[in-house]
Amino acid sequence: MSRSLETSSLKRKRPEVDPLGLVDAERAILNAIKNKKDLGIWVRDIKQETKLTDHVVNKSLKSLLARKLIKEVVNIQYKGKKHYMAVEFEPSKEVSGGVWYVDGNLDKELVNVMKQLCLRCIRVQKVATLERVHEHLKKQQVVNFEISSQHVSDILNSMVLDNEIIEVKSTGLGAYYSIPIGTVCYRFDSSPAVAKGSKLGAFASIPCGACPRISLCTPDGVISPSTCVYYTKWLNIDF
Amino acid sequence: MVSQYGIKLATYLISFSYGDFCSKVCECLLSRGSLTLAQIIRFTELSRENVINCLRVLIHQNCVQAFSIQQEVAFGEAPKIVTQYTALFDNMIHKMRFPKFMQIVSKELGEDCLGIFEGLLQHGRLSLNQIIDRNKQTPDNSDVHVVRETFSRLLNARFVERCPAPEPFLAPHEEETPAKKRGTKSAKIAEAPKTIEQRALAAAAPMESIRFLMEIDTLTGTSEEKGMESQNIAMLDEKWKQDFSDAELSASGKKKEILWRVNFEEFMRRLRHKACMEYVIARLSDQSGIVLSAILELTRSSETRLKTDKSASLSINDIYDEVIKKDGGLGMDFERIRASLVQLGCQIPTTGIDETYSIDLKNIVELAQNEEVESVVLKRYGREAYRIFRLLSKSGRLLETDKISDTTFVEKKDTLKILYKLWKDGYLHMEKVSVNGPKQTLFLLWEMNKEPLWLRVLDEMYHAALNLRLRITYELDQEKEILQLPKEKLIGELEKRYKRLGKVRIILETSLMNLDDALMLFRDF
Ligand code: SF4
Repeated sequence: MSRSLETSSLKRKRPEVDPLGLVDAERAILNAIKNKKDLGIWVRDIKQETKLTDHVVNKSLKSLLARKLIKEVVNIQYKGKKHYMAVEFEPSKEVSGGVWYVDGNLDKELVNVMKQLCLRCIRVQKVATLERVHEHLKKQQVVNFEISSQHVSDILNSMVLDNEIIEVKSTGLGAYYSIPIGTVCYRFDSSPAVAKGSKLGAFASIPCGACPRISLCTPDGVISPSTCVYYTKWLNIDF
Repeated sequence: MVSQYGIKLATYLISFSYGDFCSKVCECLLSRGSLTLAQIIRFTELSRENVINCLRVLIHQNCVQAFSIQQEVAFGEAPKIVTQYTALFDNMIHKMRFPKFMQIVSKELGEDCLGIFEGLLQHGRLSLNQIIDRNKQTPDNSDVHVVRETFSRLLNARFVERCPAPEPFLAPHEEETPAKKRGTKSAKIAEAPKTIEQRALAAAAPMESIRFLMEIDTLTGTSEEKGMESQNIAMLDEKWKQDFSDAELSASGKKKEILWRVNFEEFMRRLRHKACMEYVIARLSDQSGIVLSAILELTRSSETRLKTDKSASLSINDIYDEVIKKDGGLGMDFERIRASLVQLGCQIPTTGIDETYSIDLKNIVELAQNEEVESVVLKRYGREAYRIFRLLSKSGRLLETDKISDTTFVEKKDTLKILYKLWKDGYLHMEKVSVNGPKQTLFLLWEMNKEPLWLRVLDEMYHAALNLRLRITYELDQEKEILQLPKEKLIGELEKRYKRLGKVRIILETSLMNLDDALMLFRDF
């Protein structure tokens, strides 16, 4: 009931001439979208805000898209949900995921390139602070966006988590001579354990440490160490 | 309580060395807690004689401790004193570590101490006379004085200690015990012990003042300590008479000679220090390793507990003096030592008056534990999960899904999948938080589920150690015939199989020793 009332009330306003030649429903939707600025809005929220029928909303969106007044954007938080934004806005960091995302997907390529660059920089310098790596990357001008110290810090942190580099405090000596004592810096370690990316623990280096069936394995059961295929494979590697 | 596979491994080790009856008694005690002789007989369904024999072996091998307590009785009845037996789980697992202990002794004191030490490992408890007798029977036996001298070196290094009292009596209420008489021991009790087993162990332990003391005449002295000792022996007489027949008694520990045994605590301390050092060398630098080893060397004797959180404080001068004695330490000056101390997590004092340092050993142990669990995650769940898990283990607090995804560069939907899987498998703890704004939003917060996870990893490691042992037995069993053949017959295919077996054994045994390092890291350090 209320729906038909609203449509009729919209109809009554029609006489106002729209400079873009939009009908009332389209104007209402466009306003709702514009109000959200660089955050964009989800179709269902448009419907709720404008109280228009599905049919009207869909038709209007199509028409607004055709006139290039709005665009569809991917919101990385809700990838499956269609979001719209006015053309004059660029998706905010929350929506796009920031520089590391393209079209709502993580730009793994970019992340990897950046990691390589950081790693090379640290390897050459042996140890480096965040600022140094940042400076180095800025000079290289490898990316088409303004690289911030936060970006570099993101990359370095993830490399620490991957055990590719080590976070240490400067001792002010040797390779650290130019870095004040106590400053956090990043070190490349060429020892074999670290070169592999991570040091495997004693438990993880035997089959049982990686075994998905350990809870089913018993000394005399169907799955047991004497019949275990993982063991057989492991022990045959060298022969 | 010991975990399921901890018990399985312990009973396997006991059955391997002392047979199935003993292992049955151990299993019974480990899974049910302290029991009386009658209860053990009932639960194991072994004969009285068998159980008594097993208990004797196990006590002698330091795997069981007896103690007596006053049993609750109905009002008006005379109080009854009963003897209970408790299994010493860690001592059973230590059996696996004997080669490591021997290596420490031979490295520090040389080969000549090894003979005596090995005897103690094998026999559990020996008196000095027994040690001397044993030495006489060896082909290259030495003079009594030499044996005594060698023994006292073991004692000075704290590798050997006096055996605990055979059966301490636990008073019903600790506070009623006159504090004066118990001296250092009451301090020990006040420290931590809560369970009755812990109280029993504390009460049985020899006093620190005589623990490593060889020359003491126990039979004639009148001092307090000696009083305690003879009191214990008298009590033992009473109890053993009740439990065991006279004939049995005469064969048992009735002799009033001092018995000695291996001091496992000291070995665990050294292995703990070694593990810390290895971690520091691998993760920080060789120099930090040298500084740490110097500090541990100096503070070791003042450590009263195995799991000391922080090393005792040392002045920079003392550290320096010890560092330069170390291999590779000669080139180090104060500045370098300070730099290493910073790496080890110390703060350099701003005023130079009292420059002392203490190392946070607990923190090093925890870092090493984290790495062990992290690499299990890497193996079982892959690199992205590893990164996520490491983030959570490093941060040590609740983090929100998006934050995790952003920091680790893992796609949002993958992040959620991985987190969910780790949560389902018990690695993580999850909290839901809903925020009422214009729209209701649900946030998921995640955190490493440390305590239960650590216990589970430990149990899985016991399981894995048992599996390695079983596989070794299986491999040897498979090639039984080959092992019985004389060397010259091992040619062609047979030789190949023989060589394969050798390699397999090396792989399995080294893996077991390494796994045991990890076990100690979680259980003992
Ligand atoms: S023995 Fe084999 S099946 Fe059993 S836990 Fe180990 S790897 Fe898994």
